[in-house]
Amino acid sequence: MFYVVSIVAELILIAAFVLLFMQNRRLRRQRNELLQEKEATYGFIHDVAEVFAGATTVDLDNLLRRVLYYAVRTTRAASGAVYLFEPDKQALRARAISGIFPPLLGGVDTGLERAMSKSQHVENLVKTRLIQRGEGLVGEVADFGSAILLPDAETDPRVPRYELDFLQIRSLLLVPMRFHQEVLGVLAVVNRVDGQPFAPADLGLLQALADQASISIYYAGLRETLEEKMRIDRDLDAARRIQTSLLPKTLPRVEGVELAAFNYPALEIGGDYYDFIEVDDTHLGIAMADVSGKGTGGAIMMSVCRSVIRAHAPRHLSPAQVLKLVNQVLAHDVSEDMFVSVLYMVLNTSTRELVVARAGHERPIVSHEQQDLTILDSPGVAIGIADTETFERVLEEIRIPLKPGDVVVAYTDGVTEAMNIREEEWGLDQLLDAIRVASREGANSVLNNVRQRLERFVGNRPQYDDMTLLALHVMK
Amino acid sequence: MRECSIELEEKGELSILRLDGSLDAYSFPRLESTLGQLQEGGKHRVILDCAALEYVSSAALGALIGFARRAREKGGDLKLAGLSPKIYNIVELLGFNKILEVCDSVEDADKRFGSGG
Repeated sequence: MFYVVSIVAELILIAAFVLLFMQNRRLRRQRNELLQEKEATYGFIHDVAEVFAGATTVDLDNLLRRVLYYAVRTTRAASGAVYLFEPDKQALRARAISGIFPPLLGGVDTGLERAMSKSQHVENLVKTRLIQRGEGLVGEVADFGSAILLPDAETDPRVPRYELDFLQIRSLLLVPMRFHQEVLGVLAVVNRVDGQPFAPADLGLLQALADQASISIYYAGLRETLEEKMRIDRDLDAARRIQTSLLPKTLPRVEGVELAAFNYPALEIGGDYYDFIEVDDTHLGIAMADVSGKGTGGAIMMSVCRSVIRAHAPRHLSPAQVLKLVNQVLAHDVSEDMFVSVLYMVLNTSTRELVVARAGHERPIVSHEQQDLTILDSPGVAIGIADTETFERVLEEIRIPLKPGDVVVAYTDGVTEAMNIREEEWGLDQLLDAIRVASREGANSVLNNVRQRLERFVGNRPQYDDMTLLALHVMK
Repeated sequence: MRECSIELEEKGELSILRLDGSLDAYSFPRLESTLGQLQEGGKHRVILDCAALEYVSSAALGALIGFARRAREKGGDLKLAGLSPKIYNIVELLGFNKILEVCDSVEDADKRFGSGG
């Protein structure tokens, strides 16, 4: 009996010890968690202070990297990214990345297995893919301005799945970066390093960090925009000076021929120009070109194009021949995404015969008395885009004997593609109509009529392409 | 103008990109990055389905030629399919129909790829 009591007492004692031990362990774990939490909070407060220190002097990219560093550290994330809205406020771009951040939008990703450096390739994918407002998880957070926490991201259909282990998204947390009512971007972190899912506490910390950082990001962004704008202004200014210096200051005087021309440079400087060149005593060269590139690059291209035409025009009576020479010179200099559409015509000032060659330019229009307009169509490819063989094979010139009263109009696509406030195009039919009505009165009348109708049509809407038009009238 | 949406369909060796909306200086970079990724991934047979394309700037067309050229160097091509008369007019005006292959429809382009082009 005593034994039994003793054994029972011993068992109770052991059970009590076990219980005590377990409780102790639980308490210790709780204490550790609390300590960790406290540590995280202290760390966080310290981090935010760090982010702010010197925020007025650092540039935006530097600031974003710093914000991301603390975001990843605070949430113990394996990787993270900061997306900011582009100046158009419609698309988001990943401006800073930490760790191997998997693309949050699936899609074209076929180069991965071939890529030399996978992490570099993934980073490029994330950085080059623009995300539209409302598109995917990032776009959704940016659009609604509220956070998304996916502790178990693997079950969420919006999360892309990747075969490669280091791209798998197990847990995901995205918070908006807001300043006043405006969403500036999205801060995203993926997978916790300890394998745990992100918790609401992580969301709280990350949102607080994002809220604090947004103020600095907003001002750094403003500064960046301002600097960029100043740089563009300087660029445009240089381009505009080049462009205006290249246009003829006066129109040449040719007996029995009335000439008129206008050029309206656009907001973003296109590369239109026109030129008159004395080919010989009885021939006048008339050139019109439109460079596809804008800004300084376009203006330089235009200036080169003008010089090359001027160099080859004298003594060459065949406009196609001149354009072939121009193409030979320019084909090597034009960057791949740039090309020049050129119209080059040679007028015999005694016989009034016009020879026209068109390298991808708008087709010129001829108004004859007593009959409807004709559009001069001759085959030709824009300069700088085709190989020499193709360019020369395709290009053909046409000859038009002009009669007294005829008016020839050349223009660039800025005229027909001029837009009004409702985003409607002016169109070729409107141009034809304006020419038809005014051509009896000559070149200046056509020019003024087109100008007035165009101005009425576009109103105050800023135009994005140069508008250039030139008219030639054989007087009676 | 409507922003251009791009939808990719992969059909064996072929990559068909359906363009919907307007392709200008602002929307072209997206198509450029998609084409760049295809090229990087060794996909050199590309059809641009332009049936739902409302506008294309001449600069964007010019940039497509670079992609077509690189695709041809790798034994592939970039063909345009289903152009509206308005867009075909721009292509023709610039003389780009002499450089890019323009097909009536995606099926037509598909067939032309099939016959070794």
